[in-house]
This record gives sequence, C-alpha cells and structure tokens, in this order.
Amino acid sequence: MELDLFVRYGPALLHGFGVTVLCWIAGSIGGLVLGFAIACLYHWSGKWMRWALQVYIDAVRGSPFMIQLFILYYGGPYFGLTLDPVPAGILGFIVYGSPYFAEIFRSGFQSFPKGQLEAARSVGINEWAITRRIVLPQMLVSITAPLTNFIIILTKETAILSVVTVPELLSETQTMAAETFTYVEPFLALSLFYWFMVEFTSWLGKRVEARVTRHLKRA
Amino acid sequence: MTAGSAPANRKAGPAAMHFSFQVIFHNLPFLIDAAKWTIAISAVGMMIGMVLGVLVCAARISGPAWLRWAAGLYISFFRGVPLLVQLLLFYYMLPYVGLNLPAMVAAFTSMGMCSTAYVAEILRGSLQAIPRGQAEAAEALGIAPVALWRRILIPQALRIGLPSLVNELILLVKVSSLASVVGIGEITRVAENITGETFRPLEIYLAAAVIYLVINAILAQAGRAGERRLGIG
Amino acid sequence: MAKAKADAIITIEGLGKRYGDFQALTDITMEVRRSEVVCVIGPSGSGKSTLLRCLNFLEVYDPGEVRMDGELIGWEEGSANPRKPLSGAKLRDQRKNIGMVFQQFNLWPHFSALQNVAEALIQVKKLPVKEAHALARAALEKVNLGDRTDSYPSGLSGGQQQRVAIARAIAMEPRVMLFDEPTSALDPELVGEVLNVMKELASEGMTMVVVTHEMGFAAHVADRVAFLDEGRLVCCVPPKEIFAREPADSRVRAFLQTYRERNVV
Repeated sequence: MELDLFVRYGPALLHGFGVTVLCWIAGSIGGLVLGFAIACLYHWSGKWMRWALQVYIDAVRGSPFMIQLFILYYGGPYFGLTLDPVPAGILGFIVYGSPYFAEIFRSGFQSFPKGQLEAARSVGINEWAITRRIVLPQMLVSITAPLTNFIIILTKETAILSVVTVPELLSETQTMAAETFTYVEPFLALSLFYWFMVEFTSWLGKRVEARVTRHLKRA
Repeated sequence: MTAGSAPANRKAGPAAMHFSFQVIFHNLPFLIDAAKWTIAISAVGMMIGMVLGVLVCAARISGPAWLRWAAGLYISFFRGVPLLVQLLLFYYMLPYVGLNLPAMVAAFTSMGMCSTAYVAEILRGSLQAIPRGQAEAAEALGIAPVALWRRILIPQALRIGLPSLVNELILLVKVSSLASVVGIGEITRVAENITGETFRPLEIYLAAAVIYLVINAILAQAGRAGERRLGIG
Repeated sequence: MAKAKADAIITIEGLGKRYGDFQALTDITMEVRRSEVVCVIGPSGSGKSTLLRCLNFLEVYDPGEVRMDGELIGWEEGSANPRKPLSGAKLRDQRKNIGMVFQQFNLWPHFSALQNVAEALIQVKKLPVKEAHALARAALEKVNLGDRTDSYPSGLSGGQQQRVAIARAIAMEPRVMLFDEPTSALDPELVGEVLNVMKELASEGMTMVVVTHEMGFAAHVADRVAFLDEGRLVCCVPPKEIFAREPADSRVRAFLQTYRERNVV
C-alpha cells in the first residue's frame, strides 16, 4: 500500500470529511428542532392533527433513507424543489431524523410523572411555566441518553448521502479508489476511520451525558 | 459503483410538473417482483444474524477473557462502520482474497455479519433483564452451562428481546436498499432502472417507498401479534 | 448427650469469606449431623446467607474447608498455595447432592411447575422425559401441588411457587437441603404452607440447614440453632438454650429482645 496515495488525495478526503461533519451537525440540529416541533404539536393538538403527524412519522420511519434522498434530490425538481447535493443531503437528514427525535421527545413527555404536574397545577402555575420550569429541565435529563444515541447513529448514515452525489467521505474515497484502481486498502482504511469516529463520538456522548445529568439533576 | 442513475435532466420544467399515476401502474409489477429480492436479503440476513448473534453474544458474556474481547471487537466494528461501507468493503475484498463470488454473496455476507452484531447486543440487553437468581438455581441444581443457556436463558432472552428483534428485521428491510449499490436487483435498483427509462423519479420512488412501507407495516403487525401471543408488551 | 463425630454429614472448619475489604465471615467451625435440622439466625448483615451459599460453593470461601461426607466442596483436594477450584463438571457433580431453596424462589417462568421440577432430572441425571415427569409429579404431590403441575409460575401464589421450588430441589434426592430465608419474600398468610412442607421434610429425616427469621420454626423444629453475628459463629446450641431461658451470650439476648419487641402477638 502506497502512503503517497493518501497524501495525494489527502485534501479531497479531508474535504469529504468536512462535508460529512457538516451534514451530520446540520442534519442533527435541524432534525432535533423539527422533531421537537412535531412532538409539541402532537402533544397539544387534536385527533386529526395527531393522525396526520403519525402518518408522517410512520412513513418516514418505514421507508429507506436512500429512497427518501432519491425522492428529495431526483424527484424534487418535479414539485419545485431543486437543490444542490449538500443542501439536499442536509434536508434529507432533517426529514429522516425528525420522526426519531419526535418519538424520543414524545416518550419523554409521556413518561413524565403526572404527580408533579398535578402538584404544580393545584398551586396555580400556568401551563407554559410548568412546561418551561418543571417539565423541560427534567425531561432533557431523561432523554439525553436516547438523543445522543441516535445522533451517533446519524454519523453512520452520512455514508448513504453518497448515493445522491454528496461529496462526503465515502464518495471521495470511492473516487480515489476508482482513479487509482486500489479498492481494498482505501475501503479498509475508511472502515477503520468510521469505526474510530463512532467509538470516539460514543465516548464523547457518554461524557456529555454525564455532564448534563450532573448539572440538571436535582434529587 | 455509486448508485443514483440520475436522469440527465434534473432541472425539470413546468411541463413535467403533473403527477403521472399511469407510470406507477404500468411499472408496479416490476417493483413488486423486485420485492422478492428485498425480502430474501432481509430474511437471510436476519437468519444469519440470529444464529451467529446467539453465539457471539454467548462469547461476549461467558467466554474466556480473550474470546470476550474478540466478540466485543466484532460487535464494536460491525456496529461502528456504516453498513454501506461494510457492503462495499466485502464487495471489493472478496475477489482480492481469491473468492470470485457473485455480488449477491457480498450482500448476504455483509448483511448477515452486520445483523449478527446488532442481534448480539439486543440479546445481551435481554439477558441482563433476566434475574440472576434463575441462573443460580440452575447452578445449584448442577445444570451445565450449555443446558442453562439452551433451555433457560436463550428462550427467555428471545421473548424479552422480541420487540427489538422485530425492529431489527424492519431495519434490515430498509437497509436492503443499499444492496442496489452493488447491483442487486432489489426494489431500489429496479426503481432506479425504471426511472432511467421513464424519467419520472418522483412517481417511481414514491411507489417504491410505499412498497417498503407495506412490507414493514406487515412485519410490525406480525411483531405485535407475536408479542401478544407471548404475553409481553 | 454428645453425638459421635461420625454422624456429621457436613463439617465446616475455619471458614472465612471476604468481599474486598469487608470480612463477611471469620473462622466458622461447626458441623451438621445426619438428619439434623440446623437453623441459622442472626441480625441482618451477619453473614447467614453467605455462610449457606458457601456450603454449595455459590460463594467461593477462603480460607477454610467445607466437607460433605468427607468430600471437600469446591476446591481440589490436596491443592494448596494457591488452592485450585474444582472444574465445572466436578462441582456440578457435588451440587447434585445438595439441594437449595432460594428466598426469591427462582423458578423459570417459561416452564410449567412440572417442567421446572423435571428440568434438572432431564439435564443433570439424564433421565428420559417420561421418567423425569413421573418423578416430578411425585415430588409435586409431596408438596401438595399435585393438581397444579401444569400451572406456570405467574399463575401461582408465592407460597405455591416456593413449594414448587422445594419440589424441584427434593426431586434430585439430595443428601442435604439448604434453605436461604425461604419465607422472607412471602405474604404472612402464605408462610405457613411452606413451613409445613419443611416440617414434614424434617420429620422424614432430611438433613436441613435453614437460614430464617421464623423464630417459631427455629424454636420448635430445629435440632440446633446457630447464631451468627458480624460474620462470627457465636454459638450453635439446642433451641431451648436460647428460647426457653435467657441466652448466655449478650448479643443473642439483644437480638432476641428486639425480635420479641417487634413480634408480640
């Protein structure tokens, strides 16, 4: 295996990694926001809205990410949405992740001890203040684990963005492999790199969890 | 080898704005026929995963120290690397090590090895949910470890882990779409081919999505029925 | 009247057990004679369950020796510095002769009562299924559950589950039965049915070591009562020396005092 290969393609690979990280972060934040909005909407609306939201959640969770990306990127122009690969990738991520985040927030809402709500209401605190001061701080603690878990899963899903020509890490590696006719070494290195990245972000995630729960948890 | 046979003209003009159900109905049979490959890949992947997953889980929990470490490494690798990368790695590696097998083998192998790691983790969590006393009672009676696993621990772990295992199967159905990248003629691949001919990506990919949804909805229902029958959840 | 040493079925010598810095048991020396019922009592944390679990090596004891009918339990005979534990197969062989009943019953929820009792007969004694089921049925009859053989643990009361657990242990025809607080997890009205089964076992001559808080059982059924405090054996004497008159040792007195205060009927 020639190391100058990696030197030659270094910049391209680094750029690809940058795109990977960009899509991951932008997609996670967007997904979190959208997911939270969906969960709140679900929580405070009636039967029909809930039904519609559930259809959205089930549709996105039941179909492959790849197909969703195809619909957005290749099908998009047919309903007025023409995007470049990277924005399409980020949008795809946001759409793909939103139901999972929504479910996490929703179960956080539902598993909240009703007794505390009753106590707050009986003292006369209004709903929004209850949500803001009592529910959210505690809920964020309890859902930190599934949230970080899923965000770490998203790091792996970035690889799929390559199918809609997003120039992220896998795509750049494939280019390098095709141009140099070496396939095993680059993909082996890529595998190890993803492995390391996931292990590292998992470790980071655990530290974040520990820190967050320490600050927010009051017995 | 990347997927995405994009129609040459992505900037579709207003002329193409109408939604054509005709295209869907005309090509539905082809998509549904391709579903058999989707189901085959997922089913075989799951079966391999269940069999090997039990073994890897057993190795992870109760083997000698080196085996536990090796099993842990296996699980960590196959859960840490994206499946698409695993698939491509196997696809390129097979001929490299002298095995000139069809792409199908690469697909089945990587699906199987990946699901093994996830099943092993699911089972590990389920086993931890079994009260320790049950194993102690077996030890006190002189029951050997293999019998303990086979008769008492694994049956209960499967029951406890059923919801997660059904989930895993649904996940496999979704990631079977990645096999299109190495040319397997499952739903996504066929959809891409049809799109290349008809230039109607929106309709075709939506139709493909619906087929996946139907398969997964059936699996989810079956899973819930199974859970009810076993009296869990 | 002292019984001859030859009657001892279990001998415990200098037994100790540590968990890290915590000394759970120190220098326990006692014996259990054939067909004897020994009740082990004492405050919580005194090491009663630990001692019991050392007898079938569910806890690894060190130093000291536990012998059953002369055979060293858990460690290889003759090995020293450091001692070698027995291989899995040999330890399982030893455990065939020791029956154990747990506080939490530990029945296997996916098996019926019959299957629970028959499982070890099939897996350990390698009996054919029909024979194992017949023996299991007999054992369940013995604990008065002959009509519930096909019930699952979830469909049985705590007292019934514990009786199934006892049937499961006695079906293996052990030489000794160990009971680890068998009634502590039971609702009060269910305790009696389990104690009755245990009394019957005792009257048939089964050697039993029972860790318990049921002082009535200890007072009336035990041949000797062993009192443990902070991991040491304070005394091992016939029950009337503790219950019928003022116990000699102050720790035993203190223990029984708080017990009496809480349990005045």
